[in-house]
Amino acid sequence: MERISTVNERKLFLTLDILLIPVLVILFMGVFSFHFALTVGDWDYWIDWRDRRWWPLVTPLSLIVLPGVFGYLLWDKLRWPLGGTITILGLSSAAWVSRVWNFEIFAGFPLNMVTPSTYVGLGLMLDATLVITKSFMVTGLFGGFLFGFLIYPLNWPIIAPYHLPIEMDGTLMTVADVMGYEYIRTAIPEYVRIIESSTLRTFGEAVVPLTAVFAGFLTVLTYYLWVWVGYLTSKPTWIKKIV
Amino acid sequence: MNAKRKRPVSAVFLLLLTLFTVNEVAAHGERAQQAGIRMRTIHFFDIEIYPRTLKVNEEMTVKGKFIPSENWPDHLASTEGTAFLNIGVPGPKFIRLSSSVNGQPMIRSTSFQEGELYEFEMTLKARNEGEYHVHPVISVQDAGPIIGPGYWVTVETGTAPFENHITTLFGEELDLETHGLSNTIFWSSLWFVIGFAWFGYWLFRSKLPIIMPRYKLIADAKDADDIITRQDQIAGGVCLALCLSIIGFGYLWAEDKYPVTTPLQTGKVKTPLIEWDKHAVAAELVKAEYRIPGRSFKVEVNVTNTLETPVRLAEFTAGGIRFGNPNVRELKPQDRHDLVAEAGLIVVNEQIEPGETKSVVFEANDALWEIQRLTSLIYDPDSRFGGMIQFEARNGQRYPVEIGGAMLPLFN
Repeated sequence: MERISTVNERKLFLTLDILLIPVLVILFMGVFSFHFALTVGDWDYWIDWRDRRWWPLVTPLSLIVLPGVFGYLLWDKLRWPLGGTITILGLSSAAWVSRVWNFEIFAGFPLNMVTPSTYVGLGLMLDATLVITKSFMVTGLFGGFLFGFLIYPLNWPIIAPYHLPIEMDGTLMTVADVMGYEYIRTAIPEYVRIIESSTLRTFGEAVVPLTAVFAGFLTVLTYYLWVWVGYLTSKPTWIKKIV
Repeated sequence: MNAKRKRPVSAVFLLLLTLFTVNEVAAHGERAQQAGIRMRTIHFFDIEIYPRTLKVNEEMTVKGKFIPSENWPDHLASTEGTAFLNIGVPGPKFIRLSSSVNGQPMIRSTSFQEGELYEFEMTLKARNEGEYHVHPVISVQDAGPIIGPGYWVTVETGTAPFENHITTLFGEELDLETHGLSNTIFWSSLWFVIGFAWFGYWLFRSKLPIIMPRYKLIADAKDADDIITRQDQIAGGVCLALCLSIIGFGYLWAEDKYPVTTPLQTGKVKTPLIEWDKHAVAAELVKAEYRIPGRSFKVEVNVTNTLETPVRLAEFTAGGIRFGNPNVRELKPQDRHDLVAEAGLIVVNEQIEPGETKSVVFEANDALWEIQRLTSLIYDPDSRFGGMIQFEARNGQRYPVEIGGAMLPLFN
């Protein structure tokens, strides 16, 4: 870039890069992990919580918050279509560290029961849509919808092996149910699990597509909300008030 | 020694003092629960855990009985709503192979009627070496866990590493310790690689440094969107197409590899009741007092024996503490934390003849009232107690009877 006029300025800017980029990534890891633990928590911790109705609905609504806010900031200030990718990479990296360290090594759960779901693809699609269209409006409509709509198929290759049927004491179970039952969680009795249960409103077997469309629709709306929050936080008036 | 040199020595001394004087921790916070709630919720009895020493991969049985209290506090959610038979151990040190109440498998949640008798049994398999305090637990929705009596169990190293295999309805054997893990790692890694590639593209698409020159460029630009080049948009298109392709391929691959799957299973089951003569011996509370200086709980009850054989008051249980009448039943603590007051029960008029109704007075005395913090009942906003008396016939048949009501403290 031709604006770098002196060697000293270049050095200063390089130092800023070296300091700021890791700090940003670590910040996203921490903030997103905390936010995700509070809002999604058990749905992402345990393989026997990832059902067809609640997990694919709650997760994108929580997951879109940071990509919306920071996506706006990174685009507005740097024209970087990275808000979805970096924040979710940070979340996923922190989740893997936590699952291995806290859940497997410290608490003793088998790792296959507590591995995090994958969400990186959702962030990538959001960012790719933004760079192609250069429009938050279109990104919300198209990328936001894909973000909510595709969370289940994105994770199905990971989840499917845990939905094989098993018989236990005359009861039909899935592999995930058996793991949840056998590997004892004293503080999580069976009724605590918030998963799909039969209702009169169930549309036959079409739970997944209906949930996916609904999740996509809600994610579009919430994406705009969080982009707006990003817009508000990017205004210099906040800094002026604080200073 | 001057003051500055004394400080590190003092610190080391304090550290050593802390290390060697730490009290043993109660296993699952039982004593933290309000005394009234512990006494008026679930009466556990006849708890058996065997074997108490086993090796990794070996099985252990936890069995016993419980009666949900008829004095259950109104403000507390009851087992008549939703409850689950659970086990109190520090994490998955064991796996639960099976559990049942009155013969009904307890994989799912259920409800238990107040005043009814339930017999439970669980089979656990040892997974990790160590010494663990094992309790039966009844988890009650919106109320919390009600913890039963616990015993120490020692798990020793086994001859082979822990194994947990299960067979699907298609006859495929799975190792639940590792099933699906490599698959999860593959798909997660694939997305990490693509994510970092996208991140790397934007970091290194122009010369270093990155942030400030770009920030300045955008701040000064007439239309900041012009910074996005055709190449960037093509990269975006490729990224989007790649993501959609991988998601589509992954979904079809999973559908092909696992053509038959079932949704996660949940729901509530009904637990059948067992036949028992709950009115064979009846007891009605007349008066209950707790004398604080003597740690003595004195109870007067009117007892009616409808049986054709005399019965004697053998045991009183409250909040998990067992007080045995040495004239009838010899109670011995089974380990160092077994809550048994061996000769803690003094009974006046302990025998009730067939068809007789008479006043029986008993005193349950022991420091366990204090140690288990049941005396804090006098500080509860609802100073009512609950407990279970066991009467015993000559043939050894036992008749559990619940009592409960107001309790008056005596301060001197």
